[in-house]
Amino acid sequence: MSEDLDEIYRRASALDPSRPSEAMRRRVLEHAAALAARPRPAANRARWRPAIFGTLAAAALAGLLVIPRVFNPHPPAESADTAAPAKAPPVVAPPPLAGASPFASPPPLAGASPFASPPPLGSPPPLAGVSPFAGAPPLADAPSMNAAPAPPPISPPQAAARSRAVAPTDASRKADSRVDALAQSGAAAENPIASAQLSSPPTDPSAALRRAAETGDIQKLRVILGAEVRIDAPDARGRTALMLAAAGGQDESVDVLLAHGADPNAADANGTTPLKAALAADRPAIAAALRRAGAR
Amino acid sequence: MPDAGDSTVADDSDEALIGRYARGDAAAFELLYRRHEMRVWRYLQRNLRDAATADELMQEVWFAVARDASRYLPSARFTTWLFSIAHNRMIDSIRARRRHMNLESLERGSDEVTRQLTADPSASPIAAAIARDEAAALIRAVEELPREQREAFLLLVEGDLDIEEIARITGSSFETTKSRLRYARTKLRQTLKEFA
Repeated sequence: MSEDLDEIYRRASALDPSRPSEAMRRRVLEHAAALAARPRPAANRARWRPAIFGTLAAAALAGLLVIPRVFNPHPPAESADTAAPAKAPPVVAPPPLAGASPFASPPPLAGASPFASPPPLGSPPPLAGVSPFAGAPPLADAPSMNAAPAPPPISPPQAAARSRAVAPTDASRKADSRVDALAQSGAAAENPIASAQLSSPPTDPSAALRRAAETGDIQKLRVILGAEVRIDAPDARGRTALMLAAAGGQDESVDVLLAHGADPNAADANGTTPLKAALAADRPAIAAALRRAGAR
Repeated sequence: MPDAGDSTVADDSDEALIGRYARGDAAAFELLYRRHEMRVWRYLQRNLRDAATADELMQEVWFAVARDASRYLPSARFTTWLFSIAHNRMIDSIRARRRHMNLESLERGSDEVTRQLTADPSASPIAAAIARDEAAALIRAVEELPREQREAFLLLVEGDLDIEEIARITGSSFETTKSRLRYARTKLRQTLKEFA
């Protein structure tokens, strides 16, 4: 019945004699031909070279910061504030640390590389070469990370940076651990969440957050952000609320999430960042907002 | 320049064509453009009810496609990406000219389409099956749908997108999109009944 109506409309529409202007068509095709004549692939390759060196340099810097702490058997005494996260159960503590501090481990560092933009369509190999961790599962869902020992002691500035970026409360850790417990249960925990995103209201706070961000439900978004939720919790495909808002063109959601400290460089499982998603969706205003927030 | 032995074929998928264009094959873009020209045009024109503005936006949309071809992510269908761009440009345009727009001009635009439609000299075999007045009324009814319903319906019939894709492009939930399509179809069916 619905198909009949759609078909009738298509037939009726085909009778409409109006057409785009020939001048516009010519301009479009000439513009496209001019762009095609530019040596874009070479330019893109050139862009990847500094990306590789930049990533290696950042990894080396991370190593310099972390190695002395690993080999120091008697780390300096820490304040109660900084020591607390290290004593927290490993199930909860590592993911926010890795997500918030680019120096905590190489994988997020590579994912958050300022040069980790997608390669041109015709050159997929550089993507795999430069971002070897793009296909890795989100840290919060990785069993190996959950089983890892407590992270090395962190300095007060690092702790402050972490708390600014993620600000995990006890309550939010509980919410995250619920999600992690689902992931560990072997019951394909992400699938119910992912499938529920479009078919029914999400039941876990992270999914509700992503849903509200994606649909631009600002009121709900603010309510969820005011409660216990990890703002950068990814879905089954590694997409954060900010990523979904950017890809969906939800300007206001993006602004609210950034104001609440969402990570503008959190990449999904394919290595796509919110900035790339905004550019791909042709949302320059969102891309500008992300860049202002430090997206690269 | 296209790779050696990399010839553009008319039955290449959209995704393959945009990939070829990203590698410098201008002919692939032209093929892609001609394949989707009328769908994008009708989507814009029916939503905006203004051929001149639709022409402007059409150019902006395809310029954006050409400029961002290398950023296109093959994980999404090309048409989803294309109509996302068209949707965003259209929304920006509507916001920009909202204060300048009045119902009178909208009505004129609608009348123009109806007039053109009823004056269509190239009556195809399909036209025999559909009374011309009925077709004109149906087009007009589509244009008079509330904006959200109209857009969802046009993305479905012109963009050939599914509900999930429409929901994503318009930033709505799956259920909301489904409701909009249901309401739109109910109203259009009512229009057709009046001609039965």
